[in-house]
Amino acid sequence: MQAESKNIIMQGLWHSNPVFRQVLGICSTLAVTNLVLNTTVMCLALLFTLSLSALTVSILRRLTPRNIRMMVETLIIAFYVIIVDVVLKAYWPDMSRSLGPYVGLIITNCIVMGRCEAYANANPPGRAFLDGLFNALGYSFVLLIIATFREVMGMGTFMGMALPYFSGPHWDKWIIMVMPPGAFFMLAIVTWVFRSIGLPKE
Amino acid sequence: MNIPSEMSQAFVICVSAIFTQNILLTYFLGLCPFLGVSREVKTAYGLGLAVIFVMTTTSVLNWLAYRYVLAPLELHFFRFILFIIIIAAFVQFTEMVIERYSPLLYQKLGVFLPLITVNCAILGASLFMVIREYSLIETVGYGLGSGIGWFLAIMAMAGIRQKLAHERIPRGLQGPGIALIIAGLMALAFMGFTGVLQGQ
Amino acid sequence: MREKKWFPVVYMFLATAFFSSVVIGFTRLTRNRVAANEALALERAVVHVWPQTRAKAANAAMVHQLFVEQATLPDEATGGAYTLRRHQGGTVAAYALPIAGQGFWAPIKGVIGIAADRKTITGIAFYEQNETPGLGAEIAQVPFCRQFEGKVMAPGQTPIRIRRPTVHLSENEVHAVTGATQTCTRLERIICQALQQWQEQMAYRVHKKDNEQVP
Repeated sequence: MQAESKNIIMQGLWHSNPVFRQVLGICSTLAVTNLVLNTTVMCLALLFTLSLSALTVSILRRLTPRNIRMMVETLIIAFYVIIVDVVLKAYWPDMSRSLGPYVGLIITNCIVMGRCEAYANANPPGRAFLDGLFNALGYSFVLLIIATFREVMGMGTFMGMALPYFSGPHWDKWIIMVMPPGAFFMLAIVTWVFRSIGLPKE
Repeated sequence: MNIPSEMSQAFVICVSAIFTQNILLTYFLGLCPFLGVSREVKTAYGLGLAVIFVMTTTSVLNWLAYRYVLAPLELHFFRFILFIIIIAAFVQFTEMVIERYSPLLYQKLGVFLPLITVNCAILGASLFMVIREYSLIETVGYGLGSGIGWFLAIMAMAGIRQKLAHERIPRGLQGPGIALIIAGLMALAFMGFTGVLQGQ
Repeated sequence: MREKKWFPVVYMFLATAFFSSVVIGFTRLTRNRVAANEALALERAVVHVWPQTRAKAANAAMVHQLFVEQATLPDEATGGAYTLRRHQGGTVAAYALPIAGQGFWAPIKGVIGIAADRKTITGIAFYEQNETPGLGAEIAQVPFCRQFEGKVMAPGQTPIRIRRPTVHLSENEVHAVTGATQTCTRLERIICQALQQWQEQMAYRVHKKDNEQVP
């Protein structure tokens, strides 16, 4: 049991990392990586949705008929996403407006659907929850790295707070980092770096 | 020529959705199939056409659903579930129709249809349509423009990747890495279209 | 039981019913909060465009109180603008006109304050915008909004103009945000449309009043 759990953790965080290995599910979050705070909230939303959806799908797995299982998975995922959306609208309206439609797009996020189909459907609830949790964490840490570079280099702030050198007159803000091409380039570089680290020495 | 102002507004929205507000290069939607299915121009072509068709029709269907079902019942948050159900049902229906009436077309396009259901761009277009409060004609323009924009992007990407297949790319960059750099350069290029249309 | 024909349909129905009711219940619980949040955003914008109330708006409670006490709701006579009266039922001290339109990424909604002379701008504030942070989103920040205070509307199609950052300004112009051409172009259009429409409506009212026969 211990070995299995450890395996799940390492797979989710590194070996099958959703962002630089599987390259799945980045659409919903890449758009908000221009600010670290927004990325953090999005990643927390994904964490909540993925782990609980995997848990629910796993609990219901013996009951759900095979031919409608994808619709049921979509229903469960949508359920958790709507809860996140409603909570944000009620308790943090500014953030809800900043994130726009991207919270709703977590429903079609390939990672959430992917883990539910691939793992949660065939495994006990405890392990499914862990799998969802660590996939989401692996996803989050990479996106936070991207967001940090984009916000620091593009706006000179981190989490909205001005940084000493980057906000000063000597640093010419890299506006490109705040715009879409910057997101693509940063993701490409991060993927390159992490994949190269994992490569066996030739 | 007296074009009603709503039609011209819809036209402007359509053109801007193709170039300056490209749903993939500006709003990052539809990346998974974009990175996964863009190695060959032939497959990209089929997928792109299917996306144009599905995106335009489902945008309109979702507009109707939102206007005549969700709004009167004040169930705005339900749009997430309802839109996906409509998209999935429509794709399923289209697949059945194509399979029945044109086996040739089914051979070319049918394979891609299930892939499209989870394409975030389709759901995303409908969600943006709700946020921006488009009218019916504007939604048609927006759905069509977004689809064509996505099609353009994936065709360009496939063309470039086909050429790159014989180049020496560093191991860490092979696959998604180089595709993302290409996407970044394309996004940069498309940014040059800003301002082409008056105030768009 | 899973193999029976009717099971999937019943299962789907039950699952949908269960999850939907939880979500609906949750939404009902938070409905008042959500509505209050949206109302507060508008109230804060209105209170901020009037110099008389701006200084006193320290927190959410103060904003709400100021709004309830000082702002009169829009009606036909004010062309859709909120008004600040000199005293209860008295003459108008200032107007606050809601403006809305499509920005570069998402709708932009704000309020523009106009003095009693119906020409001088007292301020501008935004309660909804989703432009690029650091670029277009700067329109909602104090430095940009401050520029509008004291500007005077010019007659004609473009009462207020947003010019390039380096140009010398006249009394109906403000500087754009560097690198945010699209957002500023659209904003200029939104502001001008709203102001023009409002001025026409107000002029019509005054004209009508002057021409009305006193019975």
